[in-house]
Amino acid sequence: MANTMSEVRLPAAEMTVGPFFPPRYSDAGAHDLTCLDGQRARGEPIDIQGRVVQLDGAPTHNLIVEIWQADAAGIYAHPNDPRHIEADPNFFGWGRAATDADGRYALRTIRPGQTRDLDGTARAPHINVLVLFSGLMRQLHTVIYFPDDGGAKASDPIYRAVPAARRAGVVAVADAPGRYRFDIRLRGEGETPFFSLDGKGAR
Amino acid sequence: MAKARSGGAGGADGLGRAVITVGPYDEPSQSTPVVEGYRQTALRAPAEPLIERPFTLSELTGPDRPERRLALLGTDLAGYGVERALGQLIEVRLRVLDEGGAPLSGALVEMWQANAAGRYIHPNDDDHAPVDPHFHGAARMTADASGCLSIRTIKPGAYPVPGSGRWWRPPHIHFSLWGRVWMSRLVTQMFFPGEPLNGQDRILHAVPDADARERLICRPRSPVDCPDDTLVFDHDIVVRGRRATPVA
Ligand SMILES: [Fe+3]
Repeated sequence: MANTMSEVRLPAAEMTVGPFFPPRYSDAGAHDLTCLDGQRARGEPIDIQGRVVQLDGAPTHNLIVEIWQADAAGIYAHPNDPRHIEADPNFFGWGRAATDADGRYALRTIRPGQTRDLDGTARAPHINVLVLFSGLMRQLHTVIYFPDDGGAKASDPIYRAVPAARRAGVVAVADAPGRYRFDIRLRGEGETPFFSLDGKGAR
Repeated sequence: MAKARSGGAGGADGLGRAVITVGPYDEPSQSTPVVEGYRQTALRAPAEPLIERPFTLSELTGPDRPERRLALLGTDLAGYGVERALGQLIEVRLRVLDEGGAPLSGALVEMWQANAAGRYIHPNDDDHAPVDPHFHGAARMTADASGCLSIRTIKPGAYPVPGSGRWWRPPHIHFSLWGRVWMSRLVTQMFFPGEPLNGQDRILHAVPDADARERLICRPRSPVDCPDDTLVFDHDIVVRGRRATPVA
């Protein structure tokens, strides 16, 4: 089968989830990342809550927020991370929440550590966010940074890729100890910065 | 215990190169964000240009076996053997591949669709078409070692899009898939061949490239090669990501 490995295929077109994404896909406890198989993950549990609105300010209902992040030590449990052997076995790193009729979602996770990129570049603690919704033909990607990261954001290359005037849009707001708010505006005034991940961005 | 699936043996190679890489996006084969006549796209797709950035480890890693978080729901949507759903029994033989053409063993797949009358079981669907109590229309399953899975279901009906000015969705099935890395995450739709509504569907035609649209349409097997009571369709879905180096 060696020759089938060398052919190049184009990924299928992304399409909207439509208005009928099954509610049962969101109610399996996937919004809580602090436990896996009954075992608690290492690190500080945090809550992230927010509201998602569209152009006219109307709340979005049944919008899907998915997250992917490193563990408390900044390690991804994936073989591409050179440190993955040391990843917390009780932290899964992935979660999903759906918005209610008022556009609100809630996730519980662990405060991520500083990750180290393949070329050694340090990344500020961050959570990768993917948004799926009726009317979104392509998934949207943004990043949640923390207001209290000791200034790590300032040298984070992805944070710095966001135009300075829009950077507040990728930083969560501290509501209470261990509780953050991250609102998302899909389009219009105060629009959340979303990233192109077409693979053409400069390295 | 976070053991890699078969495609991810080993780690980054010690020189800081990723084991799984992701190719650049092919724009013409991807949907246009704002679609004429599909009102919600203009309320929801960002107006600002997307911010260009390189991939980092965040995008080149991803969840291992997401079914550890999301319970599997089986592969039989038609209720066959219990109380069969109404409609034409079909089998979709799906194959999940990466950009290098390698099968994605164990890939997690979600699928949802309307019943034979074009009605979803969902609080958002207030269409007048009847609900079928024996058809729930959602499944979650994993591919086998060859990236294949076989789903028994009912051919979905067409349905009108509310408030859209006589736009009907052709029969289609929604798929949500995971691959080896975060960038492999894909939500797409599968269409059926020869459907008159395919030519007018605003969602299918949001994809500019004709070949890319064709790849979203499943291929029917001859009834001679199908079980007595079922029509069989083959379909490939390619997600982003590939092994950095071909295996010998
Ligand atoms: Fe649909």
